[in-house]
Amino acid sequence: MTAAIRTEKLGKIYRVGFFMRRVEGLRDLDLEVQPGEAFGFIGPNGAGKTTTIKILMGLHAATSGSAEIFGTPVGEASARRRVGFLPERPYFYEHLTAREVLHFYGQLFEMESKHRKDRVEMLLERVQLERFADVTLAKYSKGMLQRVGLCQALLHDPDLIVLDEPMSGLDPVGRALVRDLILEQREAGKTVFFSSHILSDVEAICDQVAILVEGQLRGCGTLQEVIADRESLEAVLVGEMSKVVDETRLGVL
Amino acid sequence: MKRLWALAHNTFREAVRDRVLYSILFFAIGVIVLSLALQEITVGDRDKVVRSVALGSIAAFGSVISMFLGISLVWKEVERKTVYTILSKPISRWMFVLGKYVGMMMTLAVQIAVMVAVYTLLLTIQQSVPPPVVYISAILLFVELMLLTSWATLFSTYSAPTTAAAFTLAVFLIGHLADDIWLYGSAMESEGAQHVAKLLYWVLPNFEMFNIRSHAVHELPIPWEQFSGAIAYGFCYTGAVLAVAMMVFERRDLK
Repeated sequence: MTAAIRTEKLGKIYRVGFFMRRVEGLRDLDLEVQPGEAFGFIGPNGAGKTTTIKILMGLHAATSGSAEIFGTPVGEASARRRVGFLPERPYFYEHLTAREVLHFYGQLFEMESKHRKDRVEMLLERVQLERFADVTLAKYSKGMLQRVGLCQALLHDPDLIVLDEPMSGLDPVGRALVRDLILEQREAGKTVFFSSHILSDVEAICDQVAILVEGQLRGCGTLQEVIADRESLEAVLVGEMSKVVDETRLGVL
Repeated sequence: MKRLWALAHNTFREAVRDRVLYSILFFAIGVIVLSLALQEITVGDRDKVVRSVALGSIAAFGSVISMFLGISLVWKEVERKTVYTILSKPISRWMFVLGKYVGMMMTLAVQIAVMVAVYTLLLTIQQSVPPPVVYISAILLFVELMLLTSWATLFSTYSAPTTAAAFTLAVFLIGHLADDIWLYGSAMESEGAQHVAKLLYWVLPNFEMFNIRSHAVHELPIPWEQFSGAIAYGFCYTGAVLAVAMMVFERRDLK
């Protein structure tokens, strides 16, 4: 079966500052996400989670290695045809209303007019935004924008949903709504790949987990495999971060 | 094609909801109206004065709108991160740049059409229907703005609006002095300097190719070869600049 996401030796080096200093964002990442899995991608700030997602979404070019979505290299626009993506803190055209912006995104997927209208109305209702659908997005709160972001990610009923920190900055009600939506998608057999800081959510939702620290994969497998004999996912993550600090200090890296 | 149209339509919609654009257009229409009042204080051929001022205003304000919108066309999308939710869809980067550009040209076409319509209406009320050469002049102005906007788009793919504005303004000024570069180059004694001047003349855009406003003012006919040559030059040059803009944007990591 073709993997929903496959990366091989994926690497990214950034050049920063006036002297183009080398900063390694990602090193030799090997990852495989199978269709139907709910895959949690966890790690501290600056671990390379967003970098990986940006490469998968064609927003950044990898420096080395390769990445595919359903067998199509991520450099090709067609690789994103079956993907719905919610960026961390989504930004939209503030002059548009929620309904207008969703129709616009639907047109980018060449969705047929009637089908598009049905999906837009259904999703607006699902995220409880139908009353504000004709208000311009400039007047929306952060939580409301996040819900619009979820709508645009699910609009074309994608097979793979990629979510970058979908719960960040949301109130408990918003988090519950997002969690329910992700669970619904998992139940519907969709592949969900998401990064998060909130480990309790990852534990509640995911079948598979990968831990990324300092751009390197430090663990990958089912939740039980990754936690193994430790207390929780948090203990695993903290342990891996300490190991990286120690290895760096010893000059192993 | 539908996706390209969606991008263009959205760009157009964004522009027409921008209040700054209306301010510029309102000011332009004010100057056109003022040009009609000028005939009351003009000695000599009043019609020519009115045509000259009105066509000059349309060209000047068209250029201002072109630069104002073009310099932030792509940059704004990257800076505001609205590009994330677009390029994560099956949209190629070249299509994104082209869609934004087409939307921008739709906006400019409407702006020019409104200004020319106001001018025609006022002139028809006061004097008579303007001669056809006035409309040919407006068409060539639009092609000139197509080329100017393509440069602004190119600069906006990799630089902030202030830098892009400075570069676009430089291209605009050089483009209007292209014939002078040729003349000064030909008059130079050094063969090397002559070659450099000729090279600059051929590489840099020549906006004077599209300037037939003096013909329009004096109601002189425009040879078909001159008109079609200018159109072909404008389209080919615009295509080349846009291709470079697409290549530049293709290589960018979106922060």
